[in-house]
Amino acid sequence: MREPQAGYTEEFEVNMGPQHPSTHGVLRLLLRMDGEIIKNAEPHVGYLHRAIEKICENRTYPQCIPLLDRFEYVTSMSTEEVFCLAAERIAAIEVPERAEYLRVIMLELNRIASHLIFLGTFSLDLGAITPFLYCIRERETIMDLFEMTCGQRLTYNYIRVGGVSQDIPEQFMPLARKFVDTFQARVDDYEALLTENPIFLARTKNVGIVNKQVCLDYGASGPVLRAAGVEWDLRRDDPYSIYDRFKFEIPTGTVGDVWDRYMVRVRELRQSNEIVRQALDQLPTGDIKAKMKPLFKPPVGEVYARIENSRGEMGCHIISDGSTKPYRLKLRGGSFCHTQLIPEVAPGIMIADLVAMFASLDVILPEVDR
Amino acid sequence: MTYDLPVLSGIKNLLIGLWVTLRHLFSHAVTLQYPTERWTMPERSRGVVVLLSNKETGELNCTACMLCAKACPCAAIMIERHRGDDKKWKIDSFSVDNSICCYCGLCEEACNFDAIALTPKYEFSTYDRPSLTYDIHRLQELGRDVDYTPRVKKAPAAAASATTATTEAALTPTPTAPKATTETPTNPSEKGESA
Repeated sequence: MREPQAGYTEEFEVNMGPQHPSTHGVLRLLLRMDGEIIKNAEPHVGYLHRAIEKICENRTYPQCIPLLDRFEYVTSMSTEEVFCLAAERIAAIEVPERAEYLRVIMLELNRIASHLIFLGTFSLDLGAITPFLYCIRERETIMDLFEMTCGQRLTYNYIRVGGVSQDIPEQFMPLARKFVDTFQARVDDYEALLTENPIFLARTKNVGIVNKQVCLDYGASGPVLRAAGVEWDLRRDDPYSIYDRFKFEIPTGTVGDVWDRYMVRVRELRQSNEIVRQALDQLPTGDIKAKMKPLFKPPVGEVYARIENSRGEMGCHIISDGSTKPYRLKLRGGSFCHTQLIPEVAPGIMIADLVAMFASLDVILPEVDR
Repeated sequence: MTYDLPVLSGIKNLLIGLWVTLRHLFSHAVTLQYPTERWTMPERSRGVVVLLSNKETGELNCTACMLCAKACPCAAIMIERHRGDDKKWKIDSFSVDNSICCYCGLCEEACNFDAIALTPKYEFSTYDRPSLTYDIHRLQELGRDVDYTPRVKKAPAAAASATTATTEAALTPTPTAPKATTETPTNPSEKGESA
């Protein structure tokens, strides 16, 4: 046995995860550490692999939707939307105006809910417990709105090929308006707790910088890309649904550090709130579902549809062979690309900063593993 | 090393944070004492699956057409049936496995006879898995007290030929759930909001 010498150090490997609370799911990071400094980080994914894409090949198009709710469960509405968008493009279905507005209202409310989850868990990872409770409270209001509309709080099965499943109930509008009117003040509360707090700034400013070039190289999208200073938002740059009718800003950061990513999302909360307000004001009357044959059978074809999710670009590639089931379904999620940023950014930072950096990427593991 | 600025801004932000929490200290408590108090679920809430019966005759509305079993994405509905003497389908057994049901509501949408529905009932945990599979009697009992407005049959044009009318009705998807409950649902978010 070797005698311990003064000043003698050795690199060692440590497993962070798969059951580590700050990995937001089941991500295993194999870290090579030099004391507290990370030398190398290697993400091991696949613990949540459920073969969703493959199962969808054995399901009819309407049956795929409840399954896809489980693909990205924090913003299930967007998963439904991207799948239905792709299916509608293959079959060339025109969605009624009211259905489009209802979809936008639900998508943006869901984006707010997702960003609130981010804000809560992110601050929790940094040691601030208070904002989490307030974020969950506001999210609860949104969940109640969803529940009274479609009957579920998480796996909605609301957006259908050609429209939405049900019209909003009577009490939806006053409650949604009340939420929209009070929400800006709530965001002010979160900001008062976090944005200028010196401890928060020390933990986030110039930590975990993902610069513009790295983002573009790794195919990052969404708030991560925007925090690096690239003004890119599919809602504006490749408009789908009726997003070209709403006025909203695209918040961007400058450096691409943890604080920028936090700030981009907080400002997006306000922008999404404004989109919901505009959509509620403009909501027309009319049908909520296009007239379609009962058995949805798209023609032979291939299409890729993409939308701006709260985690970046979410895409759905459907190959149809003319039957009632998709021949091949491929999903693209922002989280998968963002997980690959970890080995690029981690070397040289402290393990506590890795937690902050990983939380700021807002990765959700079912989306990585499918 | 100067401590002036970080200490001052630290104290300032501590006070800001305490002010935010202090304002919430005097708001209403939202805790619900669960076993004694219960949440009123929204009427569209999708909970346990039930079979609905005719209010007058008390017989099941189900015609064993198998549309719900075909619509189910996780094969939770098992139906066995046979042809009766009057050439109509008779149900031998009808069971729903609640342990694999994903509560998506596609069966309710596929049904054309107001026979199957998802209700806001939610307390049905058991100690073992087999008792989560509900047979036809249990499903019928659960559905006894569920209010629903029977579907109005399409009168014009459909009267021409009864067979095509039923197939058309069978194939038309119903966008809105024609359910009407007598009780007025309270808004849960009102409780959730701070005063």
